[in-house]
Amino acid sequence: MEAVNQTGAASKASAAIELHNLEVKYGERSAVNDLSLTVPAGAIFGFLGPNGAGKTTTIKTMLGLRKPDGGSVCVLGYDAVMQSLEVRARVGYMSEVNSLYDFLTIPQHCAFCRSVSRQWDQEMVDRYVSLFGLPTNRKVGKFSKGMKSQLALSLLMGSNPDLLILDEPTAGLDPVARHQFLNHLVAEIAAQGKTIFFSSHILSEVEAVADWVGIIRDGKLIVCDELDHLKQTQKVLKLTYVELPPAAEVTMLRSLPGVMSLEQEGRSVRLLTHGDVESLSQTIQARSHALRNVDIVDLDLEDLFLKYMKEESNGR
Amino acid sequence: MVVKEFIEARSQLQGQIQQLTGSYDGYVWSQWFSKNGPDILAILAAVLGASLIASEVNKGTIFFLLSKPVSRDRVLLTKYLVSVLILLGVSLLSGVAILVASAMVGHPQNVGGVLISTILLWLGMLFVLGLALLFSVLFHDVLRPLIFSLLFTLLLSIPGLISNATLNAWNLTFYWSSFAAYQGTMFPLKALLICLVAALVPVLLAIPLFRKQAY
Repeated sequence: MEAVNQTGAASKASAAIELHNLEVKYGERSAVNDLSLTVPAGAIFGFLGPNGAGKTTTIKTMLGLRKPDGGSVCVLGYDAVMQSLEVRARVGYMSEVNSLYDFLTIPQHCAFCRSVSRQWDQEMVDRYVSLFGLPTNRKVGKFSKGMKSQLALSLLMGSNPDLLILDEPTAGLDPVARHQFLNHLVAEIAAQGKTIFFSSHILSEVEAVADWVGIIRDGKLIVCDELDHLKQTQKVLKLTYVELPPAAEVTMLRSLPGVMSLEQEGRSVRLLTHGDVESLSQTIQARSHALRNVDIVDLDLEDLFLKYMKEESNGR
Repeated sequence: MVVKEFIEARSQLQGQIQQLTGSYDGYVWSQWFSKNGPDILAILAAVLGASLIASEVNKGTIFFLLSKPVSRDRVLLTKYLVSVLILLGVSLLSGVAILVASAMVGHPQNVGGVLISTILLWLGMLFVLGLALLFSVLFHDVLRPLIFSLLFTLLLSIPGLISNATLNAWNLTFYWSSFAAYQGTMFPLKALLICLVAALVPVLLAIPLFRKQAY
């Protein structure tokens, strides 16, 4: 036990979450398969994946709500299976379903949380409650979905967690509530240096908030990298030809080194590239087919996500 | 053979009931501690026990609860103890009501007998509560734990329909509704111990099961 703590303390500075070869099964079906993942301390990690990919199962395993069938889960330096209480004392968790008690008011929720938390900062909770403008005298059952999410986040902050694990925190929120929620998440909480791990299938919100991204599909992690690094190394090259390019030219473009995928719409060709996009652009412009326009644009997360999903589908 | 035995037992039982209801004490005991009390309290115990965990799972609040730094044993036992106290309160209240009402109509009852019968009944109902709790851990909806715990309790009371000493030894209802204890003619130590053990068994089974349950 002592050894785990020491190891944990040493690695705490660098990694908030470390999963090694994680395997979780529902009966015979594998929900998470050989998943290895490291979330650096202080990161805002967006965990992306389609419905049923294994995001929630991975999160539940991190909190000790579900035991892994294989591999190891280390959260804030503590083993999530053997030291689950230590993990939960330092982690604030918000589930994908409304998990608050409908028959309780905000002060009653606070009293309950205070009684089961190792530390409790009521001033912090009050600050967030007034920031979100939540009514303290009404029962939570009468709150809207957005208000419940805001209250859940406020309550998380009461125990001053080092790590926030949010499972689809903005699911079901309208765009205004989602924007407000994410703004507070970044401006208030991430600014305090806390690590935020949140799952989502809304790509735009992950792109707006996260600095790290992991994509999971069918229980397998298919990419895990810094978002900026992913964007730097992968770009979109938009080519507009003067005349419709012949099929042979398109085939040649597809075969160029660094081209990951190609989409054509009439005279416009869109190349998803990897590596030195400038030299690739020069190579293409030096060819005999006249180009009206060449644009190098940053890849957005949606492109990336779709690319990885497509790759996986083709690979299967 | 079985039919003959059943008819004999039934007429014996009717004779006993007539004898009991002939007196005020017997009437009160048969109406509350033997019949209505166990029925009402068993339903209350099953409702309380069935919703202890299954309701949390059903509503999603289990994630809020289990994400806090408290052990599952503490969660389960705290919730169980609250229900135990509710049942104790209701049982004691009914005992007090019997004492007060009987005194008011000029038939004061043996306080010790009423108290010990109330405790026996409460312990018996803790078995139903524990059973419902066990099913509540196993199933993620409230209806199945409620139905299964009541069915199981009903099955256990079947031997009581046949007035047979051997069968009665395996009949839990026989222990939680003792007329001799109500009259104060004997201290039902064996009945108390049996009801206590019966109450503990399902809870002791539910604890490790809840510890292992994945949500």
